[in-house]
Parts: sequence; C-alpha cells; structure tokens
Amino acid sequence: MVLAVDFMGLHLKNPLIVAAGPWSGSSRHIKEAFKAGAGAVVTETIVSEPCFDVNPRLAYDGAGLQNIRRYSNKSFEDWLRELEQIKNENGVVIASVLSQSPSEIGYLAEKVEKAGADALELGLSCPMGEGVEVIAANPNRVYSLTKAVVEKVKIPVMVKLSQNMTNIGQVGRFVQEAGGSGISAIDTVRCILGVDLQKRKPFLPTYGGYSGPPIKPMGLAAAASLAQSTSLPVCGVGGISSCEDVLEYLMLGATTVQIGTSLVLHGMKHMTKISEDLERWMEKNRIENLSEITGIALKELRSFDNIKVEPKMVSVDGPCHRAECSACTDCCGIYEAISKAEEQIRVDPEKCKGCGLCCYVCPDHKFSLVRR
Amino acid sequence: MNIKAVAEKAGVSVATVSRVLNHPETVSPKTKAHILSVMEELEYMPNWFARNLHMNKTNFIALFVPDILDPCYMELAKGVEDVAHQKKYNIMLCNTESDENKEKEYIETFISRKVDGLILVSTLLKEEDFNQIKKRGISFILIEKREFLHDIDVVYTDYKSAAEEAMEHMIEMEHNPIAMICGRKPYFENQEKLSGYKSALAKASLPCLEEYIEEEENTIEGGYLAAAKLLELKTPPKAIFATSDMMAFGAMERIKQEGFSIPKDIAVVGFDNLKVASVVEPQLTTVAKPMYRMGLMGARLLFDLMDRDEGPPMEAQEILIQSKLKVRRSCGHKDRLKEIL
Repeated sequence: MVLAVDFMGLHLKNPLIVAAGPWSGSSRHIKEAFKAGAGAVVTETIVSEPCFDVNPRLAYDGAGLQNIRRYSNKSFEDWLRELEQIKNENGVVIASVLSQSPSEIGYLAEKVEKAGADALELGLSCPMGEGVEVIAANPNRVYSLTKAVVEKVKIPVMVKLSQNMTNIGQVGRFVQEAGGSGISAIDTVRCILGVDLQKRKPFLPTYGGYSGPPIKPMGLAAAASLAQSTSLPVCGVGGISSCEDVLEYLMLGATTVQIGTSLVLHGMKHMTKISEDLERWMEKNRIENLSEITGIALKELRSFDNIKVEPKMVSVDGPCHRAECSACTDCCGIYEAISKAEEQIRVDPEKCKGCGLCCYVCPDHKFSLVRR
Repeated sequence: MNIKAVAEKAGVSVATVSRVLNHPETVSPKTKAHILSVMEELEYMPNWFARNLHMNKTNFIALFVPDILDPCYMELAKGVEDVAHQKKYNIMLCNTESDENKEKEYIETFISRKVDGLILVSTLLKEEDFNQIKKRGISFILIEKREFLHDIDVVYTDYKSAAEEAMEHMIEMEHNPIAMICGRKPYFENQEKLSGYKSALAKASLPCLEEYIEEEENTIEGGYLAAAKLLELKTPPKAIFATSDMMAFGAMERIKQEGFSIPKDIAVVGFDNLKVASVVEPQLTTVAKPMYRMGLMGARLLFDLMDRDEGPPMEAQEILIQSKLKVRRSCGHKDRLKEIL
C-alpha cells in the first residue's frame, strides 16, 4: 500500500501538505510539521517587506475561523536563513512568496530557490490588504506574475487561487499558459465572522479571511472546477479536518491537499492522526495506491441536461425513538409529506417529491431515497 | 596601544596577532585565547578602518538622497539600513539637494575613502558619469528609473501609472477641473507624475489647461503658494492633485483659510502616504509611495552586486515596486469599502 504521491514532479511521502500560515512561520515549525508526518510544508507567505501584526487577529464561532493576519512578519533576510536551515530536512519545502509586481516576485522567488526551497506557491489570493479584488481575480496579473517567476526559477511553481473570483477555471488556464506547474485552491474567503450585539461592532475590526470546515464545499467545487478545466495537478485546500475530507478532495481531482485551520485548533499532532486514518482507510478499502481514487467522483458531476430524472421517494427504516425530535417533519414543511405519530413515521407517497433533505437532517439516518 | 605591544606581551609574532583578528580559524584555540586575553588586559582596540583597508573592504555603503528633510527619504533610509545591518554594514548618508555637482563631489570623496557600494536615489548623473564609476570598480545601484539606462541595477516605482490611477479616481468622481501642484524637485519623478496627470485627462477627453498646473518648491510652503494662485483663478479647481503630501498639506491649509471645505468644495489628493497623512483633517487620500520597500530592495540589489563581484557578471536587474492608491476622506469618495480594503 502506497501513500506516496507525485506532485508537480516532486515525490511526497503522502498527499498531506501543511498550508501557509503562522504554523509554518519558521524552520522550527516546519521541522515539527515534518515530524508529525506532513508530506510537504508550505511556508507562511514570504514578502519583501515584513507585515506587522494586529491584535486580536483571530475569531472563532465553533465552526469556522476568521483571521486578519496577512503575511509573515519575518524579514526576507531572516526567511532566507530559515530556509537554509531546513533544506536538508527529509521533507518537501514549498516557499509561499508574494509581491504585487512581476520583477519583485521574480527576485524573491529566485532567492528562496537558492536558499533551498523545493517548490514555490504564489500567494495571490489573500482577501485582505490587496484592494477590493484579490490579486488573482485578474487573470492577466496572474499570468504576468506567474510567468515572471517561472522564468526565474527551475523548481515547480504552484499558484494559490481563491473563491473570491468568478471564473476560477479561466484563471487556472492562465496559470497553465504562464508555465505554472500546479494550482492550489482555495485561499481563505473574505468574511466578517459576526457582530457582537452588546458592543454593536464586528468581532474583529476589519474584513478577514474565513477558513475551517464551513468553506470545504467551496474548496471542493474549486478543486473539481480546476481539475475539469486545466491539466495541471491540483492541491485541494479549505476546511480539511479529517481523513474523510482528504478523500473527498482526492476523489474530486486533487492530487494533494493542504491543511491549516485544523492544525491551529488541534495542534500539529492532528496531522499524524489524519495520516494514520488515511492509511487505515486505504487498508480497509483495499486501495493500493491513491491514484486509484484520484478524480474518481468527477465523472459523476454532470450538466442538468444529463441528470436523469428518476421517480424517487423516501422510505423510512423502522420506528423513531426520539420522542422530542421533529427534524424530519419540520424540514418537509414545503411538501408536508412526512408525519409522525408516537414512534411511527409515515411518508405520503403522493406528496413526497424525492428532494432528499430528510435523508440529511435525520440524526439517525432513518430515511433513504428509493425508486418508486 | 598597538599590535606590536600585544605581540610582545603575548610572546608571539605580529603576524600571529593579525591572524587572530583577520583569520581566527587559522590559529589554535589555545593561542587564540591567550592572545585575546592579552588584548583585553592591554585594552587593545584594533584600528578597524586600517584593518578593513587591508581586507580590501570597509563595510560602509553610501546612500545618496536628494533631500534629507523630506520624510520619504527617511523611510527609504530605514529600508536600506534594515538590510545593511543584517549584512553587518554601516551607512553614510549624503544629502545631494538635487545638485549634480554636489552629488559628483560626494561620489568622488566616497570612492577615494573606499566605500564598498553606492545607492543613488533620484540621481542627476548622466550615462558617462555612471561609466566612470563602473571603471573605478565601485558597485552601485539606482533608485528611480531613467530612460537611457542599461546594465545598471535599478529599483523604481512607476510614477506615471501611479499618477494616472490617482487622476482616474478623481475623474471617476466627476471633479472638474482638476489642477496639479507639481514640485520642482526631484525633477524626473515629478515630470513622470505630470505626464500621468496629462495622459489621464486626455484619456477622459478632458482639456489640460496650463493655468491649472502650478509648479513650486516641494515643501508645505510651496503647496500653500501654489494653491493660493489656483484659488485666484476665475474658475478655481474642484480638485487638486499634488506631487507630494507635503505640498498637499500646504494646499489644504490655504484652501481652509479661504473658507472652502475639503472635499466638499475642493478635493485634494497627495502623493507619498507619509505617516501624518492619516491624521490630518480630513485624512489625506494619497498614492502610497513604497519608499521603505524601495530601500529594502535597493540594498538587496547592491549586496547582490557586491557579492557577485567575485563571480561571473549577471544581467542587470530592474525591480518595479508597486505603489497603491490609499483612499481616505480628502478626495470626497463615498465608497467606504475602497477605503478599508
């Protein structure tokens, strides 16, 4: 059984990559990530001019995280030293770099390559501090920045894209045309986590980036879109906190994935858990090589024209023992097909339209769709 | 106290003491410890300047700026210093006052005093002057681009595009007529801004009238005087674009004195994004000139050049540092989102 994957010409011992962030902001952190089993680590985004921090910069609502930290607060010179220190580690180091001008990003890229980075990620999608639109929302800028870097270095160049753009597939093709070797998606999504009703102000004082499980569906759509519109390898990012999340990204066409927020919340040891769970899943499902499942679910995505309309309705599996629960009847308010008397649940076949919602809301998974 | 006395007291040759100072790895740890303790005892301080001459480098670089009183150049100097400090280099700061002869004089002095490299900001030197410096084997880089340059490392901002962006922002708000207050120095930089002003007007099919362009000294007073003249026009401008924040502050003072309100009656946009631009009333909309970052990148290019003196020559680099329009209140923009993001 092989967990290892080839990604942009690099050999990774597994598809799990630590995403760019403060948790990959120094050689010490990166070494820790390798020790925890990461296949590769993307450094925190390295910029020409260190970025000052604000406090507080994190807010959490129990599901997702808002951050208002932009890039690394380390000087470029410090970063070159950090990279030198880890170049001989047994792990792949992907340096995340950013500048707004092609000549400057080319310069930074060349230097970090010389300092020992194995690959690059261009962090063009930070939703903060770069204007109303993220840099990557403009395909021409993506093209010129990527091209400037590709011309300066020999190592593979991956570009990070985001949900904050309308046509991600088109931007992906610009990356490919510019000579990029891979695409990672998605970066955090511009957000305001919420408003403190007592103080009458947002939790954090500016727009930030949203990450964690709530953004996974957007990340999955982006990964699938890129896999279907370019031939570049895709690194899926967004909301991964379990082995199952990893598998979903892989089945939708990603070759590798990046994990960030769940490492902030649960510590670097969480990487070890996901890696071990992935191994167990492969064993249980008799998967020898992850390439067997890569992109396997993509062929199930189809246009509306090609969705066969089958007459379906829900069937209920046995009585319900949750006297207080009314999730199924509540969610069927539009069709009024479900009724509950004591422990008996009844579905009116005339009224059920087969929408499928009750299958997801029932805590005991009592419902399933069957052909009429 | 000299090196001879140290050698005598330590019972070693002068050459051994010299090796401890310059190539300590070639001396046995025991001898090194002994000599260092003698140095301490005799309170011996090596003559660093002489020593560096011997090593063929002084660990000094010279930074030439056109106006030491302009806070922009202090930000730039901080960028240069932050890189130089990490490389264990010191900086000599020269104020050229945009005077070509003064600049040449300084360069001559520094070359004869063996500085290791030069950073020339908004230089007035010409191609033949650069060739002369090259011939003398001194590494140098420029901050600010000039058309005729080739084979010289440069860090620059595209002042024309930056000015165009600021103008387009004002034109979008339908300010008309828009006047320009243009600083006399630094010359090339401000000429580029002026050309951005003119091209933005042309693109929007708006007339560019000479009476709305006022040239003055690049100071608060200069901005004040220029605004005074503009306000006396038969049709005073609805907006003023100044080539520096200092000039914009001066203009704002005059506008207020005349009883006009900013931005309601007259909008003002500056250039630089000095720290104080966000505390004046109303907060100044301005083009953020990335001076600190230009200093950082300028120093990096210079050190690259000095390091590769020993290696094969490489193609000269031109690094563009992107400016950014900082939308605040003085331009009259109502889109708060643009201000925040």
